[in-house]
Order: sequence, then C-alpha cells, then structure tokens
Amino acid sequence: MILARLALRNLLRQRRRTALTLMVVVAGFLALSLAGGFMAQTFQGLADGAIRGGLGHLQVMAPGALEGDEAQSLEKALPEGEALAAQLRQDPAVAEVLPRIQFMGLLSSGPKSVAFLGTAVDPALEPKHMACLDALKDGAKARGGGGSRWLSTDPAAREVILGTGLARSLGASVGSLLTLMSTTRDGALNALDVEVVGLQDQGLKELNDRVLTVGLATATQLLDAGPARSRLSVVLKRPGDTAAEQARLQALLPGTTVKPWFELASFYRQVKLLYYAIFGFMGLVLFLVVLLATANTLLMSVMERVREFGVLRAMGLRPGQLLALLQWEGAFLGLFGSALGLAATLLLRAGLNALHLQMPAPPGTSHGYELDIHLVPGVYALVALGLQATLQVSALFPGLKAAKLRIVEALRHV
Amino acid sequence: MLEFREVTRAYELGGERAGVFGVSLAVPKGCLAVLAGPSGSGKTTLLQLAGLLDQPDGGAVLLDGQEVSSLSERERCGLRLSRLGFVFQAFNLVPVLTALENAMLPLQLQGLPEDEARRRAEAALKRVGLSDRLHHRPGQLSGGQQQRAAIARALAPDPLLVLADEPTASLDHAHGGPLMDLMAELAAERGATFLVASHDPAVIARADHVFRLADGRLIEEEHR
Repeated sequence: MILARLALRNLLRQRRRTALTLMVVVAGFLALSLAGGFMAQTFQGLADGAIRGGLGHLQVMAPGALEGDEAQSLEKALPEGEALAAQLRQDPAVAEVLPRIQFMGLLSSGPKSVAFLGTAVDPALEPKHMACLDALKDGAKARGGGGSRWLSTDPAAREVILGTGLARSLGASVGSLLTLMSTTRDGALNALDVEVVGLQDQGLKELNDRVLTVGLATATQLLDAGPARSRLSVVLKRPGDTAAEQARLQALLPGTTVKPWFELASFYRQVKLLYYAIFGFMGLVLFLVVLLATANTLLMSVMERVREFGVLRAMGLRPGQLLALLQWEGAFLGLFGSALGLAATLLLRAGLNALHLQMPAPPGTSHGYELDIHLVPGVYALVALGLQATLQVSALFPGLKAAKLRIVEALRHV
Repeated sequence: MLEFREVTRAYELGGERAGVFGVSLAVPKGCLAVLAGPSGSGKTTLLQLAGLLDQPDGGAVLLDGQEVSSLSERERCGLRLSRLGFVFQAFNLVPVLTALENAMLPLQLQGLPEDEARRRAEAALKRVGLSDRLHHRPGQLSGGQQQRAAIARALAPDPLLVLADEPTASLDHAHGGPLMDLMAELAAERGATFLVASHDPAVIARADHVFRLADGRLIEEEHR
C-alpha cells in the first residue's frame, strides 16, 4: 500500500496539473455517458414504437408466413387463429392476445380507387395495448381528420380508419363513405361499404399513403375469413422475458412460428446498428484523447521526478515496482475522474431533462420528440471501466520509462 | 566487511577516460571510512559500485564476504533494500512524505507491517534528534534536519553499510560537524559501517579510515 500512498501524494503534489487531467477524464465520461443515455432513450422509443405499433412482444403466425407474398387473402394465415388466441390467453405468462388480419385491395370513393394495405384488429382490445389512439390523435390534426374516433366495438359496424395520405388521395374525410374491395380466401372478388370514422398518422409518409385499419368483423366479412387470422400479437406480462417466452411458446405451439418483436422490427435493428457505429467511433476518439492527454501528464510527471525515482531505485525499489507506482497514479486518476464524471453526468442529465428540449424528427418520421436522457447505470459502469483501462494503458509508457532509468544517471539528474 | 579487489570501472566524461582503475581496498566493520580526493578522482564511482548501483568492468566487490558485483538486478535490489543505506548530498528525501514516512519507506518496501515500520522509524528519527519533527515534510525542515532525516531513513532498516556521498556539502560548518559526529557515534553504536565520499577536511578529520584517491587510483590509505 506504500506505493498507492506515494502515488496519491504525487497526484496531490501537482494539484493544478492533476485537476486538468481529471477534467479531460470527466469530459470523456460525461460525453460518453450522456450519449449512452440518449441512445437508451432512442432505443426505448423505437422498441416501444415497434411493440405498441402492433407487433406486441411476440408474434404467432403460420409457418412460412414471412416468406414471399400471398397469392390470395389469408393464404398464409393461422386457420384456427381465434381458437389459438383463446388458448394462449390461458397461459400464465400472457397478458393479452390480439388477433390481426392483414389484407390488401382497393379502396374506392367512386370516381377514384387506390390500393391499400389493411390491418384488421379487435376494436376493444387494440386501444388497451397498442398505440393506435396516438396515431388517431395525430391524424385528427390532418385535413379532413376533425372528429376522428376509434372503431366501434359493435360487430355490425362497418367502419374504417384511413392513413392521412390515403384519405388525401381519395379526397376522403371523417364521415365519408367508401368501398373496400378485396378477394376472399377462395379467390372471389368481394366489396363492402364502410364509413370513415377517423384518420391516422403513423409518422411515416409511405405508410400514411397506404394503410387503413378496420375491425376484425369487417375484415372477416370482406375476406370470408371465418376463424382464420394472419397473426396473433402476444403481449407478455413480463416484457423482459421475451426471449425465454418465445422459446417456450414455440415449443408449446409446434404448428406455428413464434417470433420476438426485435426479430421483426428491422428498422429498430438498423437504427441500433447505426447508433452503435456512430457512438462507437465517437467513443474511440474520446478514449484516444483521454489516452494522449493523461499519458502526456504522467510522462511530464516522470521527467520531473527522475532523481526521486533514482533515490527510490537506490533504496531497493525494483523496476516493476516503479511501473506499479505509475499504474497506481493512473488508477487514481481514472477512479476520481469517473467519480466526478458520474456526478457531472447526473447533474447535467437532470438539468437537460428539466429543460424539456424538443428534438427534431428522426429521419423517415414526421414527429419530433422530447429529450429525455435515460439513467443507464450499465453504460456508466462500462464507460468507467473503459476509462480505467485507458488510464492504465496511458500510465504504461511513462512507467516503462521510469523503470528503465539507470540509477546512477537518475541520481545525477538535475 | 566491504572489499574492492582490483576494481575497474571506466567511462567517457567530456571526451576523456574517467572512473576507477584497479582499486583494491578493504573497509572493516563498524567504522567511519572516508573516500577522499578531489573532484573526478573516482570517489562517487567507488561509492556507486559499493552501493550496487553500478557494476564494475573488471575486478570484484565483496560485501560481508559475498561477491556482489555480478548479482542479478533483482538480487542487487534485494540487497540494497535490506543491507544498504544511502545518504545523498542533496538529501533526496521524498518530498511528498513526512520525515516519519520517509524513514518508514524502506521498511515498508521490505514488507514490514506498518506498526513495526513506524516503531523502528520513530526510533531512528529519535536517535538523530528529530523526534519533534516526525510529521514535517522535507520542505518544512532545515538542511541539517533533512540530512538527519536521510540518515534516519538509511539507518531504519538496520543496514550493514551506509553510503554517504558528500553528506555535508550542502550544509554549513555549524551543521556539517555535528552530522559527522553523529555518523561516527552511530557507526560505533550500531556496528554499521559508514563509507563517506568527501573532500571536506572536517569530514576526513573525523574518519577512522581514509582512502585517498587521485585520477581513479588509490594513492594512500590511512588507518587511525
């Protein structure tokens, strides 16, 4: 411990220089940990968007449902989807099962017809577990969206909610009467009159131009679907268990394919990879800056203490112990730097979040969002470990230089 | 106790050959011996060889009968730590440590428990008259006090041999004389050998043995 004590005293001897070095470490910690908190917010937002956008935590589908297109409606559906949903609702890990039908066809206002991508949902269950009402709220702000409401739970109601772009291209608004056209499971053409009860804004123009939502009863009649369902979105009681539950339910339902949300949300995975690349590069640069700055400080400190090192070596200190002395100095710089960095991060995070700053809309979306830098202890620990390792590496070269000093020359050093 | 046998250590200094050449001498145990001579005569070179800080080009250095000049770096470190003490002209106390911590340093490096190291360091500092300056840092001590603290640091591990390079050169006469008296007393009292390099007549006058050097060769021995 004598070496640790010596190291600490040496750092305190040059207070100003130590303070400057600590500032570099603190700045590195601050930048990386705030970036980590921002990334966590982004990932959380994307994950919530994917899960509450309709995927749920797990999706149950027919085998091969993800391969190729359907030649006709519900070709790759779960034939007894409703029964399967009822079975899954009995599972203790499952909070709710939301059956869905995905279909396509033409939507006609009379003079004009536009191709659509439709989703049929349970009007009663969907608002409880998915973010459909948020899209509706945003859609109500669009032209013709005034008076938007969610689908009626009455099975006899024939209603539709249109994407804002789709409504615009048809000149439709809330209250308009349109005709849905699609093919039944047997391949026969079918049509159904529906009333527009709302507009939805999904945040992506390409989606808004094509999507519509109807109740399951409407789609069942249009497609002659019977109990068949395209997918079952499963909401788990414990979202953290998604991977384990996916394996368990897959084993429980051998005639189906069970996929977790993160395998289906390709946008989430792409953004995550992009962020990892950006912040990984930024991290490397910051670690390099810390490395060079602290190595410079420690080297200066070694050059000023050449005679002192000569005396210590004359007293019997081994070269390896001098190396260890410099490692202790690096260790203390890392430790204090990370501790101060953590305090600065928590303060700045609280300050920034309190400002309720509005961030611009991410690429491909139409909505901005409020900055909410997350508390990410795992990231803080990782940054502290990374900085500690950087400091130890930066102390290596000055330590080696000190260890290689010839004693007689060091004692003559002025 | 300390013996040089035909020791040669040569190096270039300002384009000229310097060092020591074929020096043989023996320093008995428990005495105050002085390597005397003008600047460049080879005093410090011999002291460094005796202190295992350097290795001879030829000949042998024996410490307590053991040939030590050809030991490995690790073995020499171990010997320096346990059997040798050093006192330097410029005191060279570790500036960030107090007098007590400086004296404890070699003991702690030996691996002694802190309590034991503290006890022995306090005793050494008390012996050199610094019991009221234990917690002062070098910057808070006078030159004479710093040199006494350096002697306490050298003596605390109970070494066989204490090597002092011009220990009074940075002190005025009023402090240099008592310091040499102290070294002579400690040599007699502890049985440790003090080998001092100096050209100060006052230091030479207090020595039991004087080895006079000139141009890297032993020219005269005086045993009192």
